[in-house]
Amino acid sequence: MSLIVGLPALLALLLIGLWAAAALDTAIGRLIVGRPVGMAATDPLRAVVADYLRQRTDTEAPDHLNWLLAPGYYFLLAVVGLALVPFAPDQSLIALDTSVVLWGAAEAVVVVAVFLHGWSPNAPFPLIGAYRYVAIGLPVMLLSMFVLIAASIPAQSLDLRAVVESQRGLWNVIRQPLGLPLFLAVVMSLTLRGPFDYADSADLAGGTSAEDGGPRWIAWQTARAAMLVAACAIAATAFLGGYLGPVLPGWLWLSLKTLAVMVAVVLLTHLVPRMPVARMLTLIWIVLLPIAFLDLLIAGLGAL
Amino acid sequence: MTMTDVAFYLLSGFAIWTGWRVFRVDSMIRATFLLLLSFTSVGLIGLLLSASYLGAATIFMMAVEMMVMGLFMVMFMMNPAGLNPMMMVHQHRLSIVAGLLIFAAMTGAVLLTPLPSDPVAADRPVLRDLGIELLGDSMLIFETAGVTLLATMLGAVVLSSRRGRFGPTDAGSVPPGLSAGGPPAGRQPKGGGSHGGHGGHGGHGGQGGKGAHDGHGGGGSHGGHGKNGGDGNHGGHGG
Repeated sequence: MSLIVGLPALLALLLIGLWAAAALDTAIGRLIVGRPVGMAATDPLRAVVADYLRQRTDTEAPDHLNWLLAPGYYFLLAVVGLALVPFAPDQSLIALDTSVVLWGAAEAVVVVAVFLHGWSPNAPFPLIGAYRYVAIGLPVMLLSMFVLIAASIPAQSLDLRAVVESQRGLWNVIRQPLGLPLFLAVVMSLTLRGPFDYADSADLAGGTSAEDGGPRWIAWQTARAAMLVAACAIAATAFLGGYLGPVLPGWLWLSLKTLAVMVAVVLLTHLVPRMPVARMLTLIWIVLLPIAFLDLLIAGLGAL
Repeated sequence: MTMTDVAFYLLSGFAIWTGWRVFRVDSMIRATFLLLLSFTSVGLIGLLLSASYLGAATIFMMAVEMMVMGLFMVMFMMNPAGLNPMMMVHQHRLSIVAGLLIFAAMTGAVLLTPLPSDPVAADRPVLRDLGIELLGDSMLIFETAGVTLLATMLGAVVLSSRRGRFGPTDAGSVPPGLSAGGPPAGRQPKGGGSHGGHGGHGGHGGQGGKGAHDGHGGGGSHGGHGKNGGDGNHGGHGG
Protein backbone atom coordinates (compact mmCIF):
# COMPACT_ATOMS: atom_id res chain seq x y z
CA MET A 1 0.00 0.00 0.00
CA SER A 2 1.40 3.36 -0.91
CA LEU A 3 2.26 5.73 1.87
CA ILE A 4 0.32 8.67 0.39
CA VAL A 5 -2.99 6.80 0.50
CA GLY A 6 -2.24 4.54 3.44
CA LEU A 7 -1.04 7.01 6.04
CA PRO A 8 -4.07 9.37 5.94
CA ALA A 9 -6.40 6.34 5.97
CA LEU A 10 -4.56 4.92 8.95
CA LEU A 11 -4.64 8.22 10.84
CA ALA A 12 -8.36 8.59 10.10
CA LEU A 13 -9.02 5.10 11.46
CA LEU A 14 -6.87 5.91 14.48
CA LEU A 15 -8.88 9.08 15.12
CA ILE A 16 -12.15 7.12 15.06
CA GLY A 17 -10.52 4.51 17.29
CA LEU A 18 -9.40 7.19 19.75
CA TRP A 19 -12.91 8.55 20.03
CA ALA A 20 -14.36 5.03 20.36
CA ALA A 21 -11.84 4.20 23.10
CA ALA A 22 -12.64 7.34 25.08
CA ALA A 23 -16.41 6.94 24.71
CA LEU A 24 -16.27 3.23 25.62
CA ASP A 25 -14.14 3.93 28.65
CA THR A 26 -16.52 6.63 29.88
CA ALA A 27 -19.70 4.65 29.19
CA ILE A 28 -18.54 1.33 30.64
CA GLY A 29 -16.95 3.04 33.63
CA ARG A 30 -20.24 4.77 34.44
CA LEU A 31 -22.32 1.63 33.85
CA ILE A 32 -20.18 -0.40 36.23
CA VAL A 33 -20.39 2.07 39.10
CA GLY A 34 -24.13 2.44 38.48
CA ARG A 35 -24.18 6.04 37.29
CA PRO A 36 -26.30 7.14 34.32
CA VAL A 37 -24.35 6.80 31.08
CA GLY A 38 -25.46 10.24 29.90
CA MET A 39 -23.49 11.81 27.07
CA ALA A 40 -20.61 9.32 27.17
CA ALA A 41 -19.98 9.84 23.45
CA THR A 42 -19.29 13.57 23.70
CA ASP A 43 -18.11 13.95 27.30
CA PRO A 44 -14.50 13.02 26.46
CA LEU A 45 -14.42 15.75 23.79
CA ARG A 46 -15.78 18.25 26.29
CA ALA A 47 -13.12 17.13 28.78
CA VAL A 48 -10.42 17.78 26.18
CA VAL A 49 -11.61 21.36 25.68
CA ALA A 50 -11.91 21.92 29.43
CA ASP A 51 -8.40 20.56 30.02
CA TYR A 52 -7.01 22.72 27.26
CA LEU A 53 -8.35 25.83 28.98
CA ARG A 54 -7.11 24.75 32.39
CA GLN A 55 -4.15 26.43 34.05
CA ARG A 56 -0.77 25.10 32.90
CA THR A 57 1.51 24.05 35.72
CA ASP A 58 5.20 23.34 35.85
CA THR A 59 7.53 21.69 38.33
CA GLU A 60 10.91 22.79 39.61
CA ALA A 61 13.79 21.96 37.23
CA PRO A 62 12.06 19.37 35.05
CA ASP A 63 13.54 17.80 31.93
CA HIS A 64 11.40 19.87 29.57
CA LEU A 65 12.50 18.11 26.39
CA ASN A 66 11.66 14.58 27.55
CA TRP A 67 8.45 15.73 29.21
CA LEU A 68 7.41 17.14 25.86
CA LEU A 69 8.62 14.15 23.85
CA ALA A 70 7.30 11.29 26.01
CA PRO A 71 3.66 11.48 24.78
CA GLY A 72 5.07 11.83 21.26
CA TYR A 73 7.10 8.63 21.60
CA TYR A 74 4.09 6.83 23.00
CA PHE A 75 1.82 8.03 20.19
CA LEU A 76 4.42 7.25 17.53
CA LEU A 77 4.79 3.69 18.84
CA ALA A 78 1.01 3.29 18.60
CA VAL A 79 1.11 4.50 14.97
CA VAL A 80 3.94 2.05 14.19
CA GLY A 81 1.92 -0.78 15.76
CA LEU A 82 -1.15 0.11 13.74
CA ALA A 83 0.91 0.41 10.56
CA LEU A 84 2.07 -3.21 10.99
CA VAL A 85 -1.51 -4.52 11.03
CA PRO A 86 -2.66 -5.91 7.68
CA PHE A 87 -6.02 -4.46 6.57
CA ALA A 88 -6.46 -6.87 3.66
CA PRO A 89 -4.39 -9.74 2.21
CA ASP A 90 -0.83 -8.43 1.84
CA GLN A 91 -1.92 -4.87 2.66
CA SER A 92 -0.14 -3.33 5.62
CA LEU A 93 1.44 0.09 5.67
CA ILE A 94 4.80 -1.24 6.86
CA ALA A 95 5.50 -4.31 4.74
CA LEU A 96 8.04 -6.20 6.81
CA ASP A 97 8.66 -9.93 7.12
CA THR A 98 9.42 -9.55 10.84
CA SER A 99 6.49 -7.39 11.88
CA VAL A 100 5.93 -9.45 15.06
CA VAL A 101 9.49 -8.64 16.17
CA LEU A 102 9.08 -4.95 15.36
CA TRP A 103 5.88 -4.86 17.41
CA GLY A 104 7.83 -6.48 20.25
CA ALA A 105 10.41 -3.70 19.89
CA ALA A 106 7.63 -1.10 20.04
CA GLU A 107 6.35 -2.72 23.25
CA ALA A 108 9.83 -2.52 24.76
CA VAL A 109 10.12 1.17 23.89
CA VAL A 110 6.69 1.81 25.49
CA VAL A 111 8.29 0.99 28.85
CA VAL A 112 10.99 3.57 28.10
CA ALA A 113 8.43 6.20 27.06
CA VAL A 114 6.36 5.71 30.21
CA PHE A 115 9.48 5.80 32.36
CA LEU A 116 10.66 9.03 30.74
CA HIS A 117 7.21 10.56 31.21
CA GLY A 118 7.43 9.82 34.93
CA TRP A 119 11.08 10.74 35.28
CA SER A 120 11.11 14.09 33.49
CA PRO A 121 8.76 16.16 35.74
CA ASN A 122 11.32 15.82 38.57
CA ALA A 123 8.59 15.16 41.12
CA PRO A 124 8.08 12.30 43.61
CA PHE A 125 4.78 10.72 42.53
CA PRO A 126 5.59 10.58 38.82
CA LEU A 127 9.00 9.13 39.63
CA ILE A 128 7.56 6.40 41.87
CA GLY A 129 5.03 5.60 39.16
CA ALA A 130 7.83 5.37 36.59
CA TYR A 131 9.96 2.96 38.63
CA ARG A 132 6.97 0.87 39.62
CA TYR A 133 5.87 0.59 36.02
CA VAL A 134 9.27 -0.63 34.84
CA ALA A 135 9.23 -3.42 37.44
CA ILE A 136 5.86 -4.63 36.10
CA GLY A 137 6.16 -3.63 32.45
CA LEU A 138 9.35 -5.57 31.69
CA PRO A 139 8.17 -9.03 32.86
CA VAL A 140 4.76 -8.47 31.22
CA MET A 141 6.65 -7.97 27.97
CA LEU A 142 8.02 -11.52 28.31
CA LEU A 143 4.41 -12.77 28.31
CA SER A 144 3.81 -10.86 25.11
CA MET A 145 6.87 -12.38 23.48
CA PHE A 146 5.84 -15.95 24.25
CA VAL A 147 2.20 -15.62 23.19
CA LEU A 148 3.11 -13.80 19.97
CA ILE A 149 5.76 -16.37 19.09
CA ALA A 150 3.14 -19.05 19.76
CA ALA A 151 0.73 -17.22 17.46
CA SER A 152 3.30 -17.14 14.68
CA ILE A 153 4.21 -20.84 14.94
CA PRO A 154 1.23 -22.06 12.87
CA ALA A 155 2.10 -19.45 10.23
CA GLN A 156 5.79 -20.49 10.27
CA SER A 157 6.52 -16.79 9.85
CA LEU A 158 7.13 -13.69 11.96
CA ASP A 159 5.02 -11.69 9.51
CA LEU A 160 1.58 -10.59 10.77
CA ARG A 161 0.23 -10.92 7.22
CA ALA A 162 1.17 -14.60 7.23
CA VAL A 163 -0.18 -14.98 10.78
CA VAL A 164 -3.60 -13.82 9.57
CA GLU A 165 -3.51 -16.09 6.52
CA SER A 166 -2.66 -19.07 8.73
CA GLN A 167 -5.96 -18.51 10.58
CA ARG A 168 -8.17 -19.09 7.52
CA GLY A 169 -9.16 -22.52 8.79
CA LEU A 170 -9.21 -21.89 12.52
CA TRP A 171 -8.58 -18.74 14.53
CA ASN A 172 -5.69 -18.72 16.95
CA VAL A 173 -8.03 -17.89 19.82
CA ILE A 174 -9.45 -21.44 19.51
CA ARG A 175 -6.21 -23.12 18.47
CA GLN A 176 -4.28 -21.53 21.37
CA PRO A 177 -6.91 -20.69 24.00
CA LEU A 178 -4.34 -19.30 26.47
CA GLY A 179 -2.93 -16.73 24.06
CA LEU A 180 -5.61 -14.05 23.95
CA PRO A 181 -6.28 -13.85 27.73
CA LEU A 182 -2.55 -13.41 28.36
CA PHE A 183 -2.31 -10.82 25.62
CA LEU A 184 -5.19 -8.88 27.19
CA ALA A 185 -2.97 -8.54 30.27
CA VAL A 186 -0.22 -7.24 28.01
CA VAL A 187 -2.62 -4.73 26.44
CA MET A 188 -3.62 -3.46 29.88
CA SER A 189 0.03 -3.11 30.86
CA LEU A 190 0.90 -1.30 27.62
CA THR A 191 -1.95 1.16 28.07
CA LEU A 192 -1.58 1.62 31.86
CA ARG A 193 -5.01 0.28 32.69
CA GLY A 194 -6.86 -1.34 35.56
CA PRO A 195 -5.03 -4.22 37.27
CA PHE A 196 -1.80 -3.42 35.39
CA ASP A 197 -1.87 0.33 35.90
CA TYR A 198 1.20 0.78 38.06
CA ALA A 199 2.22 4.02 36.35
CA ASP A 200 -0.77 6.35 36.39
CA SER A 201 -2.94 4.94 39.14
CA ALA A 202 -5.04 6.82 41.66
CA ASP A 203 -3.03 5.57 44.64
CA LEU A 204 -0.16 7.79 43.41
CA ALA A 205 -2.49 10.72 42.67
CA GLY A 206 -2.10 10.05 38.96
CA GLY A 207 1.46 8.63 39.02
CA THR A 208 3.52 9.61 36.02
CA SER A 209 0.88 12.12 34.94
CA ALA A 210 0.35 13.59 38.41
CA GLU A 211 2.10 16.79 37.35
CA ASP A 212 0.50 16.94 33.88
CA GLY A 213 -1.93 19.79 33.38
CA GLY A 214 -3.73 21.18 30.36
CA PRO A 215 -2.29 20.21 26.97
CA ARG A 216 0.25 17.85 28.54
CA TRP A 217 -2.55 15.86 30.12
CA ILE A 218 -4.49 15.77 26.85
CA ALA A 219 -1.39 14.65 24.92
CA TRP A 220 -0.61 11.82 27.34
CA GLN A 221 -4.19 10.56 27.54
CA THR A 222 -4.48 10.70 23.74
CA ALA A 223 -1.30 8.68 23.37
CA ARG A 224 -2.62 6.14 25.90
CA ALA A 225 -5.85 5.76 23.94
CA ALA A 226 -3.91 5.47 20.67
CA MET A 227 -1.84 2.67 22.15
CA LEU A 228 -5.08 0.97 23.22
CA VAL A 229 -6.32 1.08 19.62
CA ALA A 230 -3.03 -0.25 18.25
CA ALA A 231 -2.64 -3.04 20.82
CA CYS A 232 -6.26 -4.15 20.36
CA ALA A 233 -5.76 -4.22 16.59
CA ILE A 234 -2.66 -6.39 17.05
CA ALA A 235 -4.65 -8.70 19.37
CA ALA A 236 -7.44 -8.95 16.78
CA THR A 237 -4.86 -9.71 14.09
CA ALA A 238 -2.86 -12.30 16.00
CA PHE A 239 -5.73 -14.16 17.67
CA LEU A 240 -9.06 -13.30 16.01
CA GLY A 241 -8.16 -13.69 12.36
CA GLY A 242 -7.69 -9.99 11.58
CA TYR A 243 -9.44 -9.02 8.36
CA LEU A 244 -10.83 -12.53 7.73
CA GLY A 245 -14.61 -12.82 7.61
CA PRO A 246 -17.54 -13.26 5.24
CA VAL A 247 -19.52 -10.61 3.31
CA LEU A 248 -18.18 -7.42 4.89
CA PRO A 249 -14.91 -5.90 3.62
CA GLY A 250 -11.72 -6.89 5.45
CA TRP A 251 -10.97 -3.55 7.07
CA LEU A 252 -14.48 -3.48 8.56
CA TRP A 253 -14.04 -6.95 10.04
CA LEU A 254 -10.71 -5.87 11.50
CA SER A 255 -12.31 -2.74 12.98
CA LEU A 256 -15.18 -4.75 14.51
CA LYS A 257 -12.80 -7.29 16.04
CA THR A 258 -10.58 -4.50 17.35
CA LEU A 259 -13.64 -2.92 18.91
CA ALA A 260 -14.61 -6.24 20.52
CA VAL A 261 -11.14 -6.62 22.06
CA MET A 262 -11.34 -3.02 23.23
CA VAL A 263 -14.65 -3.65 24.99
CA ALA A 264 -13.11 -6.65 26.75
CA VAL A 265 -10.07 -4.63 27.85
CA VAL A 266 -12.17 -1.71 29.09
CA LEU A 267 -14.45 -4.10 31.02
CA LEU A 268 -11.43 -5.74 32.66
CA THR A 269 -10.02 -2.28 33.43
CA HIS A 270 -13.05 -1.37 35.47
CA LEU A 271 -13.83 -4.79 36.97
CA VAL A 272 -10.51 -6.25 38.13
CA PRO A 273 -8.78 -4.71 41.15
CA ARG A 274 -5.11 -3.84 41.30
CA MET A 275 -2.74 -5.78 43.57
CA PRO A 276 0.29 -4.53 45.46
CA VAL A 277 3.37 -4.45 43.24
CA ALA A 278 5.18 -7.31 44.99
CA ARG A 279 2.18 -9.61 44.75
CA MET A 280 1.69 -8.73 41.09
CA LEU A 281 5.35 -9.53 40.40
CA THR A 282 4.87 -12.93 42.03
CA LEU A 283 1.74 -13.51 39.97
CA ILE A 284 3.53 -12.62 36.74
CA TRP A 285 6.65 -14.68 37.33
CA ILE A 286 5.15 -17.68 39.15
CA VAL A 287 1.73 -18.02 37.50
CA LEU A 288 1.37 -16.11 34.24
CA LEU A 289 4.81 -16.86 32.78
CA PRO A 290 4.47 -20.67 33.17
CA ILE A 291 1.01 -20.37 31.54
CA ALA A 292 2.70 -18.55 28.66
CA PHE A 293 5.22 -21.45 28.39
CA LEU A 294 2.25 -23.82 28.29
CA ASP A 295 0.72 -21.75 25.50
CA LEU A 296 3.97 -22.04 23.56
CA LEU A 297 4.03 -25.80 24.19
CA ILE A 298 0.45 -26.17 22.92
CA ALA A 299 1.32 -24.17 19.81
CA GLY A 300 4.45 -26.26 19.22
CA LEU A 301 2.65 -29.58 19.67
CA GLY A 302 -0.12 -28.35 17.40
CA ALA A 303 2.42 -27.58 14.71
CA LEU A 304 4.08 -31.00 14.90
CA MET B 1 20.20 9.29 -4.47
CA THR B 2 17.19 7.20 -3.55
CA MET B 3 14.98 7.59 -0.48
CA THR B 4 16.87 4.71 1.12
CA ASP B 5 20.15 6.62 0.71
CA VAL B 6 18.66 9.75 2.25
CA ALA B 7 17.26 7.77 5.15
CA PHE B 8 20.60 6.02 5.63
CA TYR B 9 22.55 9.28 5.86
CA LEU B 10 19.98 10.90 8.14
CA LEU B 11 19.92 7.92 10.50
CA SER B 12 23.72 7.64 10.47
CA GLY B 13 24.05 11.31 11.31
CA PHE B 14 21.49 10.99 14.09
CA ALA B 15 23.24 7.91 15.48
CA ILE B 16 26.58 9.77 15.59
CA TRP B 17 25.07 12.95 17.07
CA THR B 18 23.20 11.10 19.83
CA GLY B 19 26.28 8.99 20.47
CA TRP B 20 28.29 12.17 20.99
CA ARG B 21 25.59 13.68 23.21
CA VAL B 22 25.87 10.64 25.52
CA PHE B 23 29.16 12.06 26.76
CA ARG B 24 28.01 15.68 26.95
CA VAL B 25 24.87 15.43 29.09
CA ASP B 26 24.99 15.65 32.87
CA SER B 27 22.68 12.84 33.95
CA MET B 28 22.86 9.06 33.79
CA ILE B 29 19.27 8.65 32.65
CA ARG B 30 19.74 11.16 29.83
CA ALA B 31 22.99 9.47 28.78
CA THR B 32 21.33 6.04 28.86
CA PHE B 33 18.43 7.00 26.66
CA LEU B 34 20.55 9.00 24.25
CA LEU B 35 22.56 5.82 23.80
CA LEU B 36 19.26 4.04 23.19
CA LEU B 37 18.39 6.59 20.48
CA SER B 38 21.77 5.97 18.89
CA PHE B 39 21.25 2.20 18.90
CA THR B 40 17.70 2.62 17.62
CA SER B 41 19.04 4.55 14.62
CA VAL B 42 21.48 1.72 13.97
CA GLY B 43 18.60 -0.78 14.24
CA LEU B 44 16.58 1.22 11.73
CA ILE B 45 19.60 1.24 9.39
CA GLY B 46 19.52 -2.55 9.78
CA LEU B 47 15.89 -2.51 8.62
CA LEU B 48 16.94 -0.41 5.61
CA LEU B 49 19.71 -2.87 4.77
CA SER B 50 17.23 -5.77 4.61
CA ALA B 51 18.47 -7.20 7.91
CA SER B 52 14.87 -7.00 9.13
CA TYR B 53 15.22 -9.42 12.03
CA LEU B 54 18.54 -8.11 13.31
CA GLY B 55 17.37 -4.50 12.99
CA ALA B 56 14.13 -5.03 14.92
CA ALA B 57 15.90 -7.24 17.47
CA THR B 58 18.54 -4.54 18.02
CA ILE B 59 15.85 -2.01 18.93
CA PHE B 60 14.07 -4.56 21.09
CA MET B 61 17.14 -5.72 23.01
CA MET B 62 18.59 -2.23 23.41
CA ALA B 63 15.32 -0.77 24.73
CA VAL B 64 15.12 -3.41 27.46
CA GLU B 65 18.83 -3.32 28.16
CA MET B 66 19.04 0.47 28.44
CA MET B 67 15.96 0.56 30.66
CA VAL B 68 17.47 -2.01 33.03
CA MET B 69 20.89 -0.38 32.86
CA GLY B 70 19.48 3.05 33.68
CA LEU B 71 17.61 1.67 36.69
CA PHE B 72 20.62 -0.23 37.99
CA MET B 73 22.90 2.78 37.62
CA VAL B 74 20.46 4.91 39.59
CA MET B 75 20.11 2.15 42.17
CA PHE B 76 23.81 1.63 42.77
CA MET B 77 25.07 5.17 42.45
CA MET B 78 24.93 8.16 44.72
CA ASN B 79 22.65 10.27 42.55
CA PRO B 80 19.14 8.89 42.80
CA ALA B 81 16.87 9.60 39.85
CA GLY B 82 19.76 11.09 37.95
CA LEU B 83 18.26 14.56 37.63
CA ASN B 84 20.96 16.27 39.67
CA PRO B 85 23.69 17.47 37.32
CA MET B 86 26.87 15.44 37.49
CA MET B 87 30.07 15.08 35.47
CA MET B 88 29.67 12.03 33.27
CA VAL B 89 33.27 11.80 32.02
CA HIS B 90 36.59 11.47 33.80
CA GLN B 91 40.32 10.91 33.10
CA HIS B 92 40.01 13.39 30.23
CA ARG B 93 43.50 13.21 28.76
CA LEU B 94 43.74 9.42 28.84
CA SER B 95 40.27 8.99 27.36
CA ILE B 96 40.91 11.51 24.58
CA VAL B 97 44.12 9.70 23.56
CA ALA B 98 42.46 6.28 23.83
CA GLY B 99 39.43 7.48 21.88
CA LEU B 100 41.53 8.92 19.05
CA LEU B 101 43.69 5.79 18.84
CA ILE B 102 40.69 3.47 18.73
CA PHE B 103 38.97 5.68 16.16
CA ALA B 104 42.09 5.66 13.96
CA ALA B 105 42.48 1.90 14.32
CA MET B 106 38.85 1.13 13.49
CA THR B 107 38.69 3.58 10.59
CA GLY B 108 41.95 2.17 9.26
CA ALA B 109 40.62 -1.36 9.55
CA VAL B 110 37.46 -0.43 7.63
CA LEU B 111 39.32 1.49 4.92
CA LEU B 112 42.15 -1.02 4.45
CA THR B 113 40.04 -4.18 4.42
CA PRO B 114 38.95 -5.26 0.93
CA LEU B 115 35.24 -5.42 1.68
CA PRO B 116 33.39 -8.05 -0.36
CA SER B 117 30.67 -7.02 -2.77
CA ASP B 118 28.24 -9.88 -2.49
CA PRO B 119 24.64 -8.68 -2.88
CA VAL B 120 22.03 -11.01 -1.42
CA ALA B 121 19.41 -12.22 -3.88
CA ALA B 122 16.02 -10.68 -3.13
CA ASP B 123 14.25 -14.03 -2.91
CA ARG B 124 16.72 -15.56 -0.50
CA PRO B 125 15.07 -16.63 2.81
CA VAL B 126 17.39 -14.53 4.98
CA LEU B 127 15.34 -15.01 8.13
CA ARG B 128 15.30 -18.79 7.74
CA ASP B 129 19.05 -18.87 7.08
CA LEU B 130 19.65 -16.83 10.22
CA GLY B 131 17.50 -19.19 12.28
CA ILE B 132 19.34 -22.25 10.95
CA GLU B 133 22.66 -20.57 11.73
CA LEU B 134 21.66 -19.52 15.27
CA LEU B 135 20.22 -22.91 16.20
CA GLY B 136 22.53 -25.03 14.07
CA ASP B 137 26.27 -24.66 13.61
CA SER B 138 26.66 -21.64 15.90
CA MET B 139 24.38 -22.83 18.68
CA LEU B 140 27.20 -23.81 21.03
CA ILE B 141 28.88 -20.41 20.64
CA PHE B 142 25.71 -18.43 21.26
CA GLU B 143 24.56 -20.56 24.19
CA THR B 144 28.01 -20.39 25.81
CA ALA B 145 28.15 -16.62 25.37
CA GLY B 146 24.59 -16.25 26.70
CA VAL B 147 25.15 -18.29 29.84
CA THR B 148 28.49 -16.56 30.47
CA LEU B 149 26.90 -13.12 30.18
CA LEU B 150 24.05 -14.12 32.50
CA ALA B 151 26.50 -15.46 35.09
CA THR B 152 28.53 -12.24 34.79
CA MET B 153 25.47 -10.09 35.35
CA LEU B 154 24.34 -12.09 38.38
CA GLY B 155 27.88 -12.03 39.77
CA ALA B 156 28.16 -8.27 39.30
CA VAL B 157 24.88 -7.67 41.11
CA VAL B 158 25.78 -10.02 43.94
CA LEU B 159 29.22 -8.43 44.39
CA SER B 160 28.02 -4.85 44.19
CA SER B 161 24.98 -5.27 46.38
CA ARG B 162 26.72 -7.01 49.27
CA ARG B 163 27.69 -3.78 50.96
CA GLY B 164 24.22 -2.60 51.80
CA ARG B 165 23.11 0.70 53.24
CA PHE B 166 22.95 -0.67 56.77
CA GLY B 167 25.89 -3.12 56.70
CA PRO B 168 26.63 -6.30 54.72
CA THR B 169 23.37 -7.58 53.29
CA ASP B 170 24.19 -11.23 53.89
CA ALA B 171 24.63 -10.56 57.62
CA GLY B 172 20.95 -9.69 57.96
CA SER B 173 21.40 -5.94 57.93
CA VAL B 174 18.39 -4.01 59.13
CA PRO B 175 17.68 -0.30 59.27
CA PRO B 176 17.87 1.35 62.70
CA GLY B 177 14.69 1.62 64.72
CA LEU B 178 12.49 4.67 64.84
CA SER B 179 12.96 4.86 68.62
CA ALA B 180 16.09 3.90 70.55
CA GLY B 181 16.28 0.11 70.83
CA GLY B 182 12.99 -0.24 68.99
CA PRO B 183 12.20 -2.61 66.12
CA PRO B 184 13.82 -1.78 62.78
CA ALA B 185 12.02 0.78 60.66
CA GLY B 186 10.21 -0.14 57.49
CA ARG B 187 8.52 -3.34 56.46
CA GLN B 188 10.22 -6.64 57.09
CA PRO B 189 10.63 -9.30 54.43
CA LYS B 190 8.68 -12.48 54.99
CA GLY B 191 10.43 -14.96 57.27
CA GLY B 192 12.30 -18.09 56.25
CA GLY B 193 13.53 -16.84 52.89
CA SER B 194 10.48 -18.44 51.30
CA HIS B 195 10.00 -15.49 49.07
CA GLY B 196 10.11 -16.41 45.41
CA GLY B 197 13.59 -15.80 44.10
CA HIS B 198 12.34 -13.94 41.08
CA GLY B 199 9.46 -12.04 42.47
CA GLY B 200 10.22 -9.38 44.96
CA HIS B 201 14.01 -9.00 44.83
CA GLY B 202 13.80 -9.59 48.52
CA GLY B 203 16.96 -7.76 49.55
CA HIS B 204 16.14 -4.33 48.29
CA GLY B 205 14.54 -2.39 51.04
CA GLY B 206 10.83 -1.97 50.73
CA GLN B 207 10.07 -4.53 48.07
CA GLY B 208 9.95 -7.69 50.09
CA GLY B 209 6.81 -7.76 52.18
CA LYS B 210 3.36 -8.53 51.00
CA GLY B 211 1.38 -5.67 52.46
CA ALA B 212 1.82 -2.64 50.27
CA HIS B 213 0.81 0.16 52.52
CA ASP B 214 2.50 1.26 55.68
CA GLY B 215 0.50 3.17 58.13
CA HIS B 216 -2.94 1.74 57.56
CA GLY B 217 -3.40 0.69 61.15
CA GLY B 218 -6.96 1.74 61.81
CA GLY B 219 -8.54 2.64 65.14
CA GLY B 220 -5.37 3.16 67.12
CA SER B 221 -4.03 -0.32 66.43
CA HIS B 222 -0.32 -0.46 66.98
CA GLY B 223 1.30 -2.94 64.63
CA GLY B 224 4.94 -3.55 64.00
CA HIS B 225 6.17 -4.81 67.35
CA GLY B 226 6.80 -8.36 68.37
CA LYS B 227 6.79 -10.84 65.51
CA ASN B 228 8.15 -9.78 62.22
CA GLY B 229 6.83 -12.58 60.10
CA GLY B 230 3.37 -11.29 59.29
CA ASP B 231 2.13 -10.68 55.83
CA GLY B 232 0.95 -7.14 56.21
CA ASN B 233 3.12 -5.43 58.78
CA HIS B 234 1.55 -2.15 59.59
CA GLY B 235 4.01 0.58 60.11
CA GLY B 236 2.81 1.58 63.54
CA HIS B 237 1.04 4.80 62.62
CA GLY B 238 -2.04 4.08 64.65
CA GLY B 239 -4.96 5.92 63.08
